[in-house]
Amino acid sequence: MTIREYRDLVFNIALEQGCTAAEIYFCEDESFSVGAREGELDEYSVSKDFGLNLRVEYGGRNGYAYTEALEDADALVRKAMDNARTVETDDMCPMQGASEYEECAPRDNPLSDMSAKEKIDMALELERRTLERDSRVTQVQGAYVMTGTNRVCIYNTRGLEAEKRGRSSLAYVAPIMADGDAVKNSFAFRVGKECLNLDGMVDEAIEDAAMQFGAKPVPTGVYNIILRNSAMADLVAAFSPMFSADNAQKGLSLLANREGEVVASAAVTLVDDPFHEEYPRAFDAEGVPSFTKTLIDGGVFKTLLYNLKTAAKAGVASTSNASRSSASSPIGTSPTVMYLKAGELSYDELVAKLGDGIVITDISGLHAGVDEVAGEFSVLSRGRLVEGGVETRSVEQITIGGSFLELLKAVVAVGTDMRFSLPSGSSMVGSPSVLIEGVMVSGE
Amino acid sequence: MIEQRIAQRVLDEALKTGGDFSELFMQDTDNNGVTMANGVVEEATYTRLRGAGVRVLKGTKCAYAYTADTSEDALLATARAAASAIDGVAQGETRSFRVRDYSVAPRTPFASVANDRRVELLREGTAAAKAYSDEVTQVMAKYIDVDHRIMVCNSEGVWAQDRRPRTRVMIQAVATKDGEAQTGYESPGLGMGFEAFERIDVRSVGEQAAKTAVTMLHAPQCPAGVVPVVIDGGFGGVILHEACVHSLEATSVARGESEFCGKLGQKIASDIVTAIDDGTLPGEWGSINVDDEGTLPQRNVLVENGILKSYLFDMLGARRMAHPLTGSSRRQSYQYAPTSRMTNTFFAPGEHDEEEMIATMGDGLFAARMGGGSVNPLTGEFNFAVLEGYWVKDGKIYCPVRGATLIGKGAEVLMKIDRIGRRMWLGQGMCGSASGSIPTNVGQPRIRVQNIVVGGKGGAL
Repeated sequence: MTIREYRDLVFNIALEQGCTAAEIYFCEDESFSVGAREGELDEYSVSKDFGLNLRVEYGGRNGYAYTEALEDADALVRKAMDNARTVETDDMCPMQGASEYEECAPRDNPLSDMSAKEKIDMALELERRTLERDSRVTQVQGAYVMTGTNRVCIYNTRGLEAEKRGRSSLAYVAPIMADGDAVKNSFAFRVGKECLNLDGMVDEAIEDAAMQFGAKPVPTGVYNIILRNSAMADLVAAFSPMFSADNAQKGLSLLANREGEVVASAAVTLVDDPFHEEYPRAFDAEGVPSFTKTLIDGGVFKTLLYNLKTAAKAGVASTSNASRSSASSPIGTSPTVMYLKAGELSYDELVAKLGDGIVITDISGLHAGVDEVAGEFSVLSRGRLVEGGVETRSVEQITIGGSFLELLKAVVAVGTDMRFSLPSGSSMVGSPSVLIEGVMVSGE
Repeated sequence: MIEQRIAQRVLDEALKTGGDFSELFMQDTDNNGVTMANGVVEEATYTRLRGAGVRVLKGTKCAYAYTADTSEDALLATARAAASAIDGVAQGETRSFRVRDYSVAPRTPFASVANDRRVELLREGTAAAKAYSDEVTQVMAKYIDVDHRIMVCNSEGVWAQDRRPRTRVMIQAVATKDGEAQTGYESPGLGMGFEAFERIDVRSVGEQAAKTAVTMLHAPQCPAGVVPVVIDGGFGGVILHEACVHSLEATSVARGESEFCGKLGQKIASDIVTAIDDGTLPGEWGSINVDDEGTLPQRNVLVENGILKSYLFDMLGARRMAHPLTGSSRRQSYQYAPTSRMTNTFFAPGEHDEEEMIATMGDGLFAARMGGGSVNPLTGEFNFAVLEGYWVKDGKIYCPVRGATLIGKGAEVLMKIDRIGRRMWLGQGMCGSASGSIPTNVGQPRIRVQNIVVGGKGGAL
């Protein structure tokens, strides 16, 4: 049975059973992944996958049922209706009707057109170059090349027929380096057409691992810091739930009801751009046409991120930020391509401006060390000590801690070196390096 | 789930390019979930995950392919997709199967439970959290149940079936005052049917979540620095999970990517430390009746009186290190090739008095409830969050403190454990690693670490 035949069957049953509307979110994925090790193909994985999520509107409420077995449509509808009966909230959950979408040029993805053999060779080459680049590289934890294609179809009984296809590619390398007794590792990745830049990736990973030799903590105290682009992007991503209207409406975000207030320094502008070339999409997980919005404009908080349900509750329009963390999940909200707008100083100029302080190059353990409800964090960090505008030694085994909004208020300057983190679900977060004053650092 | 003759054809197909081992894993899983926000049911979901994965090994080379389509044609195509990564000619065929069904039927299957009963649990837990204090302004409550049915068979004639019911409630309470918000949460779970709620008291779950939130709302920021730390039992065992046992998984050890490589028989922890991973505990969150390669789980003594005794092995890791299996092969779903993972992992009870270890610690931190954490197995650098902490002054609890993080290196912290209490209990978590997110228990009695870096944003109290 094709997806369209199954859809028609499910919709007919749902409407016959008394549902007032029904929607299908169908996702189909293919993936390819290869890892090289010690000059040989080591791990190889391919997949063909699909899943179908049914949402019914019954008695004014939504119920969900998801399956990876396109059979027994009666049972699927019954499960969804049971779930709608269980729901108690009176919040409206509108469904998007027929919509027009902007043309959305897919990202350039040369790896998608490569044969399996070419991708295997590329992973082998990535490992080989990493081993050859620096004599301190003892082994490579992983040299991987991955590609994927994905198709999403959203159909409902209100006339929505939204379909999109995507292609993605990722390459990463994780070298282990040894110097005397000290052993360090690192990781660098590229996405899209940048995957072909093997040397850039290798250099970055090796530089980052090598930098950790001789690192030690700094004394506990308050420091001025630079959060390097990728570290800042990770932190912004970890606090992105604060921008969810759903969290705000549930009392789980400090940004609730603060539109128009100054929440950050004037240097901070935060944008959510679904058409950004890093990860463009024509519509969100509810089929709402994408558009770009500014969340923080020169320090002033402008808007939360809404889907249709949270927008209806707030009496505003959706910001096209409906998302599903996986095809089996109910509809939530998340950023699309969210980034801190670049400023005017190069990274070197930021370091000179810092004078004395620490450059934080990496933060880890964010799922534990970030409390997005309280808006607070305390995270394991490493980086470089800066004295008199010059990087003098490496720093490890420290934490930085604070409140996210206080941190944004303490931003003195924003760099030009934009960098995006690994995509997470349908979101991608980017930032340049930022100079921040007065951050609590715990060390020795 | 599948006929033996079809499985055999799939396994043979997978061997055609010279693999020395092939494996077929199939899964059919039903999940139910209910989410309640402030006493009102907001979402109810049902998901059915069904699919299959085919793995081919040649030496230590591994190819894996998976599909959501479980028809014979699709399975054969999946077998060919995996086999295409191996370069050679067929070496042998699948041996006849020794069929074993390790399933234990739950006393109250989730399919027999109406949603009303799930909702009632959340209502009770929410009410208890709200009743704790007027400062509790928001309560999120979630219920999940999973009926995970698997079958794994391989070219060596293994055929194992398992059914792994599990259920969990999560209650998160938010306490607010003067624009500040603090969160507490509790999330107990068990590996059994709905009868689990004869053991899990959702009221006390709600109360505990509220207590943490309200206590932390009135707590100053934790002072930062290097101090002695007492970590309470139960989920406190996350320190063992992160700081030590991730680095004992074959995933890390067999590839020379762990700080504990080559240290079997050596002292890696203080003499009072014994650490165990035991997948056989009946009905526990991290238990399995058989692992995802068809090997029986066992009680693995990892560290005994400070001496490293064992690593955790899956088949590939065991091949790399020529070591017997330990029943530790696990995966989230058919979408992952299996690898060495933990089950229920804990510090064995010791002989120290729980009160004495605080009374004699001087100034430091008592971490009453721990949050999650992570580790770099190569360097042993770990971090985790303290959800509910108390500052200790001169051996006495002085005041609650918020926002603390513990960081350090596994090998160092294990040597610094100088007290282990007498009563051990377990706490539930989801552990993420190469083969996905799986349910695991962590556990310990109350322990003391002589000193550790406490990160926070506070100054002196």
